[in-house]
Amino acid sequence: MIKVYFFLLLAGILAGVGYAAKYYYDTTQATIATLRENNAQLEVAVDIANESLELVQSENKKFAELNNELQGKLQKAEAYGDELRGKFANLNLVLEALKDAQSLEGRMNGATAKLWREFMADTGNTNTYDKPQWLLDMEAARGKNGSSNESGETSSTSSVETETTPVN
Amino acid sequence: MEKLQVPVVSRPKPLQLIDTRVRVVTKDNLEEFLIEFEQQYGDVAFTVLSMKDYENLALNIAELKRFIGQQDEIIVYYEEALTDESNLKDTPTNGTINN
Repeated sequence: MIKVYFFLLLAGILAGVGYAAKYYYDTTQATIATLRENNAQLEVAVDIANESLELVQSENKKFAELNNELQGKLQKAEAYGDELRGKFANLNLVLEALKDAQSLEGRMNGATAKLWREFMADTGNTNTYDKPQWLLDMEAARGKNGSSNESGETSSTSSVETETTPVN
Repeated sequence: MEKLQVPVVSRPKPLQLIDTRVRVVTKDNLEEFLIEFEQQYGDVAFTVLSMKDYENLALNIAELKRFIGQQDEIIVYYEEALTDESNLKDTPTNGTINN
């Protein structure tokens, strides 16, 4: 009878150990599966973070280059006004007019015609405009008188010779 | 991280300007100017600017030119910042300022 109890006790202990082993195995496998899944998610997250970082770095580099380029162009846009202020500072228009009104008139009109054409080109107008006849006549008269190089404004009229006038 | 996508819109219609004529008149050519002007326009009525005001007008226009030029460059900056380099070559721009 004692043997039977002993056998039952031993069977109970073995069943308990077996159950414990099975429980341990199942929970360990479940933990491993969870960790594997987490690891995969972390790898994806790291990849996304790395890609984002690379994108931010390349964008920052691009913006820095664009910003440098922009600063240079903004500075360049100041050139015309600076040049004009310099010309007016070195030129007494009243004296120029009293000396040779026709020459000054020609230079003023030449510079103005050039300026209007620059405005048009700068805003995307790709047409070419001839100078108006009255300006061509004026320049021809100035050429005959040989009085076209007394001011900086004259030189600014020289680059619009192939353009056509829009109106008037 | 996704890049912000903003469509680049077309530029405004380019400027279409009209030639303007300036007359320089002094005591010496005033009479000649009046005769010629009346012959050309029929009446003697004109707008007068002193040399100083002419300078100021020219400087004001230069200032407008600067502002338009800089504004245009800033627009180009944003266009380039928002556009992929591969698409940038195909993006229509009406012209950039080259002073």
